Amino acid sequence: MNQFIVYTLNGLTLGGLYFLVAAGFTLVFGLMRVVNLAHGSLYLLGAYLGWSVADATGNWYLALIISPLMVAVVGILLQQGLLRRIQGQDLREALVTIGVSIVVGDLLLAYYGGADYEVQMPDLLNGGVSLGFGLIYPAIRISVLLLAIIIGVCLWLLLKRTRLGMIIRAGIDDRDMVSATGINVQLVFAIVFGLGALLAGLAGVMGGSNLSIHPGADGEYLLYSLIVVIIGGMGSIGGAALGALLVGLIQQYGLAYFPTYSVLITFAIMIIVLAVRPQGLLGRKA
Amino acid sequence: MIKAYRSRLIASVVLALLLFTIPLFASTFFVVQIGIQSLFLGIVALSLIFLAGYGGMVSLAQVALYGVAGYVYAILTVTYNAPWYVGVLVGLLFTSVLAALFALIAIRTQGIYFLMITLAQAMLVYFYVNQDRIFAGGHSGINGVRPPVVGALDLANPTVFYYMTLLIALLVYLGLYYLLRSPFGLALQGIRDNMQRMRSLGYQTSRHRVAAFTLAGFIAALGGIIGVWYNGSISPGSIDLTRTINVLIIAVLGGISYLEGAFVGAVFFTLVTNFASSYTDRFNTVIGIAFLLVALFFPDGLIGLAKKAVQLLSRGDSGRRKGTRQQVSTVSSQAVQAKTSTPKLSDAITGDTPR
Repeated sequence: MNQFIVYTLNGLTLGGLYFLVAAGFTLVFGLMRVVNLAHGSLYLLGAYLGWSVADATGNWYLALIISPLMVAVVGILLQQGLLRRIQGQDLREALVTIGVSIVVGDLLLAYYGGADYEVQMPDLLNGGVSLGFGLIYPAIRISVLLLAIIIGVCLWLLLKRTRLGMIIRAGIDDRDMVSATGINVQLVFAIVFGLGALLAGLAGVMGGSNLSIHPGADGEYLLYSLIVVIIGGMGSIGGAALGALLVGLIQQYGLAYFPTYSVLITFAIMIIVLAVRPQGLLGRKA
Repeated sequence: MIKAYRSRLIASVVLALLLFTIPLFASTFFVVQIGIQSLFLGIVALSLIFLAGYGGMVSLAQVALYGVAGYVYAILTVTYNAPWYVGVLVGLLFTSVLAALFALIAIRTQGIYFLMITLAQAMLVYFYVNQDRIFAGGHSGINGVRPPVVGALDLANPTVFYYMTLLIALLVYLGLYYLLRSPFGLALQGIRDNMQRMRSLGYQTSRHRVAAFTLAGFIAALGGIIGVWYNGSISPGSIDLTRTINVLIIAVLGGISYLEGAFVGAVFFTLVTNFASSYTDRFNTVIGIAFLLVALFFPDGLIGLAKKAVQLLSRGDSGRRKGTRQQVSTVSSQAVQAKTSTPKLSDAITGDTPR
């Protein structure tokens, strides 16, 4: 029983991490129809930068703030510098982000090498938390889950309760009409792309503290974002949360009970969702 | 038109002669590292270009299918000691069936969604073979694959191997060339341009797309069998995200709307990876930047670029001929001299016979 609870908790925390990565991905896709295939690279960049800041200052909280901000700047530069000139051509945009991910991945490998890193955490998060029934669970994992919930609530509030959120929701429905009403859509695009990158960077720092940082993680997290978003529904934050939870739980149960075939289970879920609801669980028909 | 056709024919014959005589004068290193490798990478890229350029389906699953064929071949011949032809047949068949299954899932979507779903499919194949220690050998994969002896031909001999690969590549290219001019190929291009209209004309667009995807899977599987013979082993590393993207890079660099682009891109790619890697460790950055530039500025790739250059050149020529008769005679005579001194070259470039 305790084993099962631990697997469930592992699944929930992994789902929390996936949500942090996928939320930015789905937000950018929903508004701008940009499939940012460099999203995994932004995650990895955030993780490495987080490690560097924590290593230089010895302050993990500083890393948690500075690194995502730096990644957000990189994201805005990517959107304004490269994607804006080919806006609306979704395949070309995807190709450009692939090019960016190759260059970023290679430069990170050049700078940080192939070794595994772990972001230095404060003592508060290093230990375990007692959950009763003799269960002790790592504090960092609990904090990943908490952060995911906080971010989820913040995003929901942002989208439902603010003027910017209203513009973003309107933009997801009809970009041209929003622009016709005199709103500076380009500015909104830049903000949203920056926000998406910020979330990827944040997830990078959390993932780099919780798990490890290694070359190739960019591809992994890109894939998880894709699966989460395909299952949950593209462009939907709620869908990302649901998809992330499902994928996280399935992966952990699968690893525990069917180690060889756990990947196939994830795949099967994706196929079932696509067969029954091609737009994803919470997605809307295009 | 006839002249253009004739010059194209001459160019093809020259190219074919060159390809068939390379082993006579080039070093074994060149034949093996550049020749064979760009040919089988070209075959895989060809399957992608067929789908993307002519079917409107940018599939990132081609490398995974290439890997599946290699895995099936390796499992059958190494683990179960089956003869090579069983490995080839089952490998091709299994991969085609898997491609059909992938297609049934992926064709529910279009455009960028198609790319995302095929990418997810590809990565799941990768993670699966990485995890499966029972059949696929887990992280280290399967080693000890040998190219077979077919009748009197020993494929372990690099020259024989080169000719076999060249022949298969040529057959696949010509097969696709004619297929695209058949009713099936024309319907496929119609579906690429306007699926709704084709559907209302009575075409079974879904079946067309599944058939095209399955055929592309078969072609990728051919590349996979050659690839596993060439490498002598297969592991998850041979079908990871980098390899998947590499084939996309090859197709886009060469020109994704031309079948020939597959081989142009593959030669460029193998040359850069082989020679840039001796100057810098960051050849991936070089390739990434080249890819970025192509994606941003030359969506038709190297072939598109070459075509544009040819157009500019020939327009410049005709402009000079028509408009500026009274110009200084030396200039025009120089131009005439230049033209007559290299008749073959200008012929090939402008598609025009010099006077």
